[in-house]
Amino acid sequence: MNDPKIDQMIVEMSLYQCLECGKCTASCPRRLSGKEYSPRLLAHKVISERQDEAYIENSVWECLTCGLCRERCPSGVDFNRFIMEMRALLAKTKGLKGYRAHDGAIHSWMRMMTAPHLKQNRLDWLDPGIKVASSGDVAFFTGCAPYFNVFFAGIDVDTLSIARDSVRLLNFLDIKPVLLPNERCCGHDLLWSGDIENFEALCRLNYTSFKDAGVKEIIVSCPECFQVLSEHMPRIIPGFDIRVTLLLDLLQREMQPGSTAFRPLKRKVTFQDPCRLGRMLNRYAGPRELLGLIPEMEFQEMEHSGRGALCCGNCGFINCDASSKQIQVQRLQEARATGADLLVTACPKCMIHLTCTIRDPLMHGKKIQMEIRDLVSVLADQIE
Amino acid sequence: MEPLRILGICCNWSPFACYNAAGMTGMSMPANFHLIRVMCIGRINQALILRAFEFGADGVILLECTDEDCRYGPGPEVGHENVHRVRRILHLLGIRQERLVERTFGAHEKEKLVQTLWNFTKEMEKLGPLMAKNGRKREAVKS
Repeated sequence: MNDPKIDQMIVEMSLYQCLECGKCTASCPRRLSGKEYSPRLLAHKVISERQDEAYIENSVWECLTCGLCRERCPSGVDFNRFIMEMRALLAKTKGLKGYRAHDGAIHSWMRMMTAPHLKQNRLDWLDPGIKVASSGDVAFFTGCAPYFNVFFAGIDVDTLSIARDSVRLLNFLDIKPVLLPNERCCGHDLLWSGDIENFEALCRLNYTSFKDAGVKEIIVSCPECFQVLSEHMPRIIPGFDIRVTLLLDLLQREMQPGSTAFRPLKRKVTFQDPCRLGRMLNRYAGPRELLGLIPEMEFQEMEHSGRGALCCGNCGFINCDASSKQIQVQRLQEARATGADLLVTACPKCMIHLTCTIRDPLMHGKKIQMEIRDLVSVLADQIE
Repeated sequence: MEPLRILGICCNWSPFACYNAAGMTGMSMPANFHLIRVMCIGRINQALILRAFEFGADGVILLECTDEDCRYGPGPEVGHENVHRVRRILHLLGIRQERLVERTFGAHEKEKLVQTLWNFTKEMEKLGPLMAKNGRKREAVKS
């Protein structure tokens, strides 16, 4: 804990600017669901009571990294980055902590993907209905969708539909993307759980596979992958020269009102802002404008939406517990309270976590049943 | 060449009785076979099997009681389900499904168990070392 890096972090992430107003703790979903966790106290302890190692260490692993505290902070304390770098530091000196959900199976396969000689079968799901190219300038990043689809088969969440519908939308825009047979996980979950060594290995392997395929632009639909590819990969790989495009941005650019005809959808929908897409990448209007293109669709915001949106309860598959469940139940109840019958989200993780709670037999009778679909799937089904 | 690493996850009851009896009578076993003894194969989940591969196993064999023989109830069925699901993940990773197998034993079948281990080891030697290994040190867990 006497690492000079911590002093450097305090300065860089503006922790000294903390006014101790407590807005962070008062808005923290983890705290509001009854956990003994306080971002304000963590900042205080890191600055002036660093001998309380146990408290600091526990708190650092407790955070959901949803970014609501940073959003509310009047002094601009960059709490997310602080947690990310503290985890990396503590993982190095004290070992990886934080309870891995699903006993770490997900982190396990992500680490296995750092093997240089891997020959994956990740494209078995391709069907003749979608057109892909064997070589070209533009690639689509599938991410972990094929893996999640198998692993979460038990709760019946179809993450592959996101990849399939993304490619369908690209085909609609006359883009035939290359799908890389040996792309790796983007490493988001390893980065946020402190495993920097393997995270960087994945970044380098991905960069090599992009280069080998001669790709100049990567289109990404998952906000987590996009954040890693566009913000962290250039930091790790000097001379990173691949354009990374978020599918939502591309759709928003190409599908202007009047330019694309959508079939009407007579449903009332609401939108879950994923933390990575909203608070970290600042895309609030995009998804709403795209949903607004569909005729006859009624849109209703949830009580907490946009900048104040509530987290889906878990990040990086660590520390999923009763408190996560409670956040998810609250989120689903908010969604139901809008009177909508379809919850649209834009991140596969939100879809997995919220579906998990819906399918939980212990949640029976909680009135949280709802259909959840990804934005790209909703759009792809309504194009003429 | 480094010898292959074969991991057996063994139920404490029938299969371990066989393993024990085979050891007592001095039957020879593959030298690169490592055994982990668990109370029931139902204790094992997908993550633990995946982790065996992550930590460098070239082949994993689950030694189970027969379905009707389980001391606790659904143990072997949990085993079948896990093997089925982990194999699908291994397939995505490009790891051949022969590298993960499950075999069931009655308490008296020591010859069958030893033969199975030899066969499995030979099978793995035919496949060669697992290419999906990163060769770096594994996740450090410090207390």
